[in-house]
Amino acid sequence: MQNLVKTFLMTELFGGLRITFKRLFTKKITVQYPEEKTPQSPRFRGLHALRRYPNGQERCIACKLCEAVCPALAITIESTVGPDGTRRTSRYDIDLFKCIYCGFCEEACPVDAIVETRIHEYHMEARGENIMTKDKLLAIGDKYEAMIAADKSADASYR
Amino acid sequence: MAARPTNQVCFETLQFGKESYSLENYRKIGGYEVWQKVLRGELTRDAIIDEVKKAGIRGRGGAGFPTGVKMSFMPRTAPMQKYLVCNSDESEPGTCHDRDILRYNPHALVEGLALESYAIGATVAYNYIRGEFMAEPIPRFENALKEAYAAGLLGKNIQGSGIDQDIYTFVGAGAYICGEETALLESLEGKQGKPRFKPPFPAAFGLYGAPTTINNTQSVASIPTILRKGAQWFADLGVKGSGGMAIFSMSGHVEKPGNYELQLGIPFPELLEIAGGVRGGRKLKAVIPGGSSCPVVPAEKMMTLTMDFDTVRAAGSGLGTCATIVMDETTCMVKTLRRLARFYHAESCGQCTPCREGTGWLHRVLTRIIDGKGAKADIDMLVDVANKIEGHTICALGDAAAWPVQSFIKHFRHEFEYMVENKGRSVVDDLPQVAA
Amino acid sequence: MSTPAPSIPPAAGAPAAAAPPTDPNVVNVEVNGVAIKARKGQMIIEVTDQHDVYVPRFCYHPKLSIAANCRMCLVEVEKAPKPLPACATPIAEGMKIFTKSKRAISAQKATMEFLLINHPLDCPICDQGGECELQDLAMGFGRGVSRYTERKRIVKDKNLGPLVSTDMTRCIYCTRCVRFGQEIAGIQELGTTFRSDSSEIGTFIEKSVDHELSGNIIDLCPVGALNNKPFRYNARAWEMVAKPIVSPHDCAGSNLYAHVLRGKLRRIVPRDNEAINEAWIADRDRFGCYGVYSNDRLQQPRIKRDGQWLEVSWQDALVATVAALKTATKSGGDQLGTLISPSATIEEQYLLARITRHLGSNNIDHRLRQRDFRDQVSDPVAPLLGCSIADIDTRQGILVVGSNLRMEVPIVAHRVRKAARKGASVAFLNPAEYEYHFKTAAYVTAGDALVANLGAVLAAAAAAAGRQLPQHLAQATSGVNVTDAHRAAATAISRKPGLVLLGQIAQRHPQYADLRALAGGLAELTGAALGYLSEGANAAGATLAGALPHRGVGGKDVQRAGLDAQSMLSNPRKAYILFGIEPSKDLANGNAALSALRAASVVCFTPFVTDELLDVADILLPTATFAETAGTFVNAEGLWQSFDAVADLPGEARPGWRVLRVLGNELELTACDYRTPSDVAAALEHELGTAKDLEPGTTVYRGSFAPGAGAVGAALAELDVPIYAIDAVVRRSAALQATALAQGGLRGGV
Repeated sequence: MQNLVKTFLMTELFGGLRITFKRLFTKKITVQYPEEKTPQSPRFRGLHALRRYPNGQERCIACKLCEAVCPALAITIESTVGPDGTRRTSRYDIDLFKCIYCGFCEEACPVDAIVETRIHEYHMEARGENIMTKDKLLAIGDKYEAMIAADKSADASYR
Repeated sequence: MAARPTNQVCFETLQFGKESYSLENYRKIGGYEVWQKVLRGELTRDAIIDEVKKAGIRGRGGAGFPTGVKMSFMPRTAPMQKYLVCNSDESEPGTCHDRDILRYNPHALVEGLALESYAIGATVAYNYIRGEFMAEPIPRFENALKEAYAAGLLGKNIQGSGIDQDIYTFVGAGAYICGEETALLESLEGKQGKPRFKPPFPAAFGLYGAPTTINNTQSVASIPTILRKGAQWFADLGVKGSGGMAIFSMSGHVEKPGNYELQLGIPFPELLEIAGGVRGGRKLKAVIPGGSSCPVVPAEKMMTLTMDFDTVRAAGSGLGTCATIVMDETTCMVKTLRRLARFYHAESCGQCTPCREGTGWLHRVLTRIIDGKGAKADIDMLVDVANKIEGHTICALGDAAAWPVQSFIKHFRHEFEYMVENKGRSVVDDLPQVAA
Repeated sequence: MSTPAPSIPPAAGAPAAAAPPTDPNVVNVEVNGVAIKARKGQMIIEVTDQHDVYVPRFCYHPKLSIAANCRMCLVEVEKAPKPLPACATPIAEGMKIFTKSKRAISAQKATMEFLLINHPLDCPICDQGGECELQDLAMGFGRGVSRYTERKRIVKDKNLGPLVSTDMTRCIYCTRCVRFGQEIAGIQELGTTFRSDSSEIGTFIEKSVDHELSGNIIDLCPVGALNNKPFRYNARAWEMVAKPIVSPHDCAGSNLYAHVLRGKLRRIVPRDNEAINEAWIADRDRFGCYGVYSNDRLQQPRIKRDGQWLEVSWQDALVATVAALKTATKSGGDQLGTLISPSATIEEQYLLARITRHLGSNNIDHRLRQRDFRDQVSDPVAPLLGCSIADIDTRQGILVVGSNLRMEVPIVAHRVRKAARKGASVAFLNPAEYEYHFKTAAYVTAGDALVANLGAVLAAAAAAAGRQLPQHLAQATSGVNVTDAHRAAATAISRKPGLVLLGQIAQRHPQYADLRALAGGLAELTGAALGYLSEGANAAGATLAGALPHRGVGGKDVQRAGLDAQSMLSNPRKAYILFGIEPSKDLANGNAALSALRAASVVCFTPFVTDELLDVADILLPTATFAETAGTFVNAEGLWQSFDAVADLPGEARPGWRVLRVLGNELELTACDYRTPSDVAAALEHELGTAKDLEPGTTVYRGSFAPGAGAVGAALAELDVPIYAIDAVVRRSAALQATALAQGGLRGGV
C-alpha cells in the first residue's frame, strides 16, 4: 500500500531531481579538458626524464638501482667507463609499455637522475617508440628541468 | 724529615760526576762482580731468577709485571736459540729514565743484559734503542759494549767459562708503537713495527719464532745491583708489592723537572717537594702519574697517594713508567687532552680498526671543540668512542689512547662543557689571577 | 661434499660419564648455549663456521694466515675480561662463547662504526656493490646515520697494472691482499705503508702486480678497493647469472664461474674446489675470457672461390666442405691431415677423430707443439700428472723437468710451492733460470743440454742408490759430468713419495723421447711417480678420444699409424682440417707449416678470422669458443668435467660439436645422430668402457727407448711459449696482453 502511494506521488523521482536542480545553480566542477586541466601534485608520476647537473654533466651514474627495483622490469641499463673515467650508462632504456609508473625508480635513485615528470599527455605512432632511450630521456630532462627542479624542491621538505 | 736515600740502583755511578759512564767508575761500585761470579760458575741460573723474584722488582716499562716471574716463563730447556731483548725504545711522553741510564750508567745495562740473558738461557741479547737517542745515549751504550768486549766480559767462551754472550745494539726508527714488545720484535726482524696478536706470547714465539724475553731498560739495569746487594735489601727499599727504587721522571709544571731515583712508595707530596714544588708556587691541578697513557688523577686525590704500583692502581690510574706529569692550575685540560690525542693519532700503527680510526676521530673532535665548533653531545660521544676503542684492539695502544680521554672527561667535564658553551674559550683563560 | 655413512648413534639415555675415555684431541665448548665438540687447536671462528653460527669478519680468510686486525669478529667469552677475536682465539676446554650477546654485538657494532667513518660510502658507483662484505655487514651492524662529522680521509689510487683496478679510499686495511702476496703468491707485491689512519695499501715502489695469480686479490678484497679492471663498471653482481664452467687454458681444469648478463660473458671468478684450484684461479683463467669478444670473431661461414672470399650459408659451406674432403680422399684417405687444438672439448675431439678415420685417414693429432714423436708408442693412455692435483701438496720429493711451471700451469705451480713450504724438496731441471718463490732443493740450469743434465741426475740417483741402470739408459748416463747440483736434485727426488714432472718445454723439446726415457728411468729408480704437464685444457681427453695418429679411442692401437702433427706438414697432404688452430702460433715450426697448408685445400673450424687463415684456408667455418659451447674437459688428473654453454654465439657461429655432427651426417658417418654433447660423451664413454676411469699409475713409463747423446738444439723462445700466448682466446685478451708478463721481460716470472 505504501509502495503504491510512493509510486503515484513519484516522491523518489522528485527526490532525485532535487539534487539536479540544486546543482543547476551551484558552481560547475567539470573541467573542460584539454582547454582546462586539473591541478597536479608535485609528486605526480608521469613521463620519465633523466636530469643533468647545472654544468651539463649527466646525473646518472649507472648504479642500476632503478633497474633492480623496477617491479615491471621496464628498465634496461648497460654501464661503462665514461670518457672522464667515471661510471656512466651506455644505454638507458625504459619500456613505457611495461612501466607501471610506480615511481620506485625515482625513489631508488641516489643522485635524483631518473625522475617522473608531470607530463602525462604523450602518444606513440610507430612501433618501438615505446622504448624511451637515454637520449630521449635526457632531452625531456633538459626541456622540463625548470619544472622538475621546482617540483623536487616543493617536495624536498617531506623527504 | 730525614733525607730519603737516592740514586742507589741504576744511578749509583752518578756520584762520580762527569765520567759516571766509564767502565772504571762502574767497577768502583762493584760493577761486573756478579757477572764474574757467574763466569766463575758460582751463581746458577735458578739462583739468579729466584733472587730477582724475591726482590719483587716490577717491570718499569709500564705494565708493571714482576720481572722475575717473566724470566721464569722462558722455556729454558728448549733446544733452540733463545733471545733476550731489552726495550730501550722509550717514547712514552713524560718518560725519560731509560735515556739517562744509557747516558750515565750504560754498564749497568750491559751487565744486567748479560746476567738476565744467562739466567734465561739466551746467548744473544739485543738492545733496541729509540732512534732519537742518536746524540748521546746510543754512542755511550755502544762505547760501553766496546769496553766490555775489550775487557773480556762479553763474547764467545768468555774467560774460558764456556759461556757465550753477545749483545747487539739495534736502533729503531722512532715509532712509539715499537715500544710495544711484539711490535718491537717485528721491527727487530726488519718488518713494519706492528704488534702481533697474542697468544702466542713472546716467551713461546718471539724473535724469529724463538722464545724471547723482553724487558725494560731500567728493569734490566737494576738486576746487577739486586744480585750484588741482595734481594732483601732491594725489596726493603720499596714497599710491599713494589720493591726497590725507581726513577721518577718528573715533568710538567715543577720547579726542577728531571729524573729522580727514589724509593717506591714515597708519598707524592714528598716527591713533588723533591722536584721543587709546583712551578711559580701555583696550585696543583692534576697529575698523570705514570706516563701519558695512564689516567689523570686530580690534585686532591693525588696528594693523598704514595707512589707505588698498587696504591696508584687503586686510585684508578697506574704507576706505569713512573713518569709523573704535573699540571698546575693554568693548564687547560681540553688542550692537554687534544695534545695527547694527537700523539696517539699520529702513533697508532694503523693495523687494527678501532685504534686506527678511533684515535683520529678523538683527535679531530677535540680539535673541533677547541676551534669553538663543539656541541655538548660531542663530549659524551668522545667518551663513547673511547669506550669502543678500549679493550677492542690487538695491543695496549688503543687502551692508552682511550684512558686519558675517559679520565680527563670524568674528572674535568666542566672544562669541556665550558669550552663548548663559550665557543672555544677555555676555563683557564677566564681565571682571575691569570687574567690580571 | 662427501660425508661418511652415518654411524649408529649412541643408545639414548646412556650417561655421558660412561662414555669411553675422552679423545685428547676433542675439546668441549659451548657456543651460544649449544654444546659442541671441536678439534683441539681450532680457532673459535672455525668452530662456529662448522656449526653454521655466523660471526662477522673481514680479515679472516680460511686460506690465509690470521691477522686479527679488523676486530669485526669480536665475541664474548665467559671469564674473559674483554671481547676476544674469534679468528685468533683458540678454543679451550669448557669455553663458553657467545656470538650474539649484548657485549659481542656492541663490540661488533663499534668496529663497524669505526670502519665506516672513513669509508667513502660510494656504493652506487662501486663495482663491489651487491657483493661487498662491508655493505652486507653494514646492514646488520651499522648505524642508520653516521655520528662522524669530521673530514673523511682520502687515499690516492695506485696503478697496479692492467688487471686490477684500485679505489684505495674504500680500503679497510684487512691486509688479505698483503697476506696473499706473502703466503700464496710468494712475492709480496702489496704492502702497507705509513701509520695510523694515513696507512695505505700499495706497492712500495711504483710497480704493477705481475704475479700470475695476482687477480685473486680481487676476490679476497672484502670491499671495492681492489677490483677487476677489464670488468670495471660493466655489470652489477646481482644481475649476472653465475654458470659453472671449467678452465679452458691449462690442464689443471680449474673450476670457474662464468658471470653472464644478457647472453654476454662479463667476468670469470673461481669456483671453490679443494681438490683442484682451492679458492684460486690463474689470471689467465680470469682475464682470458675477454678475448672471446675480440673484433675478429668469424660471424658467417666463408668460402674461397677463385681467390675471393665469399660469405655463404652453412648449407653451402658444408656442401663445399664435403666436396673438398671427398675430392682429397678420393685416391686414399691418407691425403687428409687433421689437426685439432688440445683445448677442444672431448666431444669435438671424438667426432673429428671419427670423421677423419671415416674418411680413411689416421692422420689426426692434437700434439701441436710436440717435435719429437720417436717414442710415441710408449705414451701413456693419457698424459696425466702421476698423482692427483691435491696430492702434490703431500709429495716429499718433486723434480720438475723442462718446465716454466708457473707460466705453464699456475695452479700446479702453486701446489708445488705448497709442498715446498711444507718441507718437500723441490728440484728443477730447466733450460733457463725461472723464478720460484720458495727455496728449491736444486736448480739445474741446463741450457741446450737438457738431455745430458737429466742423464747426470739419473746417474747421480743410481750412484746414490747403488743400483745398476737398465741397458737402454746406459749410454745416456755414462760419461756425463755429475755435479753437486745433479746430486742435490737426485737426493730431492729420492724422497718418498716423489714425483717427476715432465713440463711443456720438455714435451716440446726436439729430444723429448730421450728426456722421457730418462725421466721414466729416474722415476722407476726412485719409486717416484712420473707425471706430464700436458698442453691445453684437454690433452688427456684428446688421447682418450683417439685424436692421435697411432691410437684410437682409449689408447687402442690402430692398424696402421698415421702421420703425426709434424710429419703431416712436412709431407704435404692434399687437404687439411684445422680445428681451433692458428697455424703459425699454435704449431711447432708454425711458419714452415704455412707453406704446406697454402698448397692444400684447408677446412678451418675457427672462432676467429685472421689474415693468416684467410691466406691459407679455403673454407672457414665459424665455431664457438669455450664460453659458447657445451662440452667436457679431462684434466691432468683424469677428471671428466662437463660444462654448459654460457654465452650467446656471435652471428652464425655454431658450437663445434654441432658442426661436426652435421658434417658427419653429410659424410654418411654411421651412428652420428647425437642431439646433445652429452650424447656424444655418452657414446665415447660407452666405447671407452673401463678405460674411462684413469688411474694415476697409468703414467708409468714402460718403454725402452735408448736415449742418445746427440744434441739437437731448439731455441728456448720456441720451446717456452709465453703464458699469455698459449691459445687464440688468451692472445686476444687485451688486458692480459698489456701485462708485464705478456710485454716481455718477465718471462720467468716476477
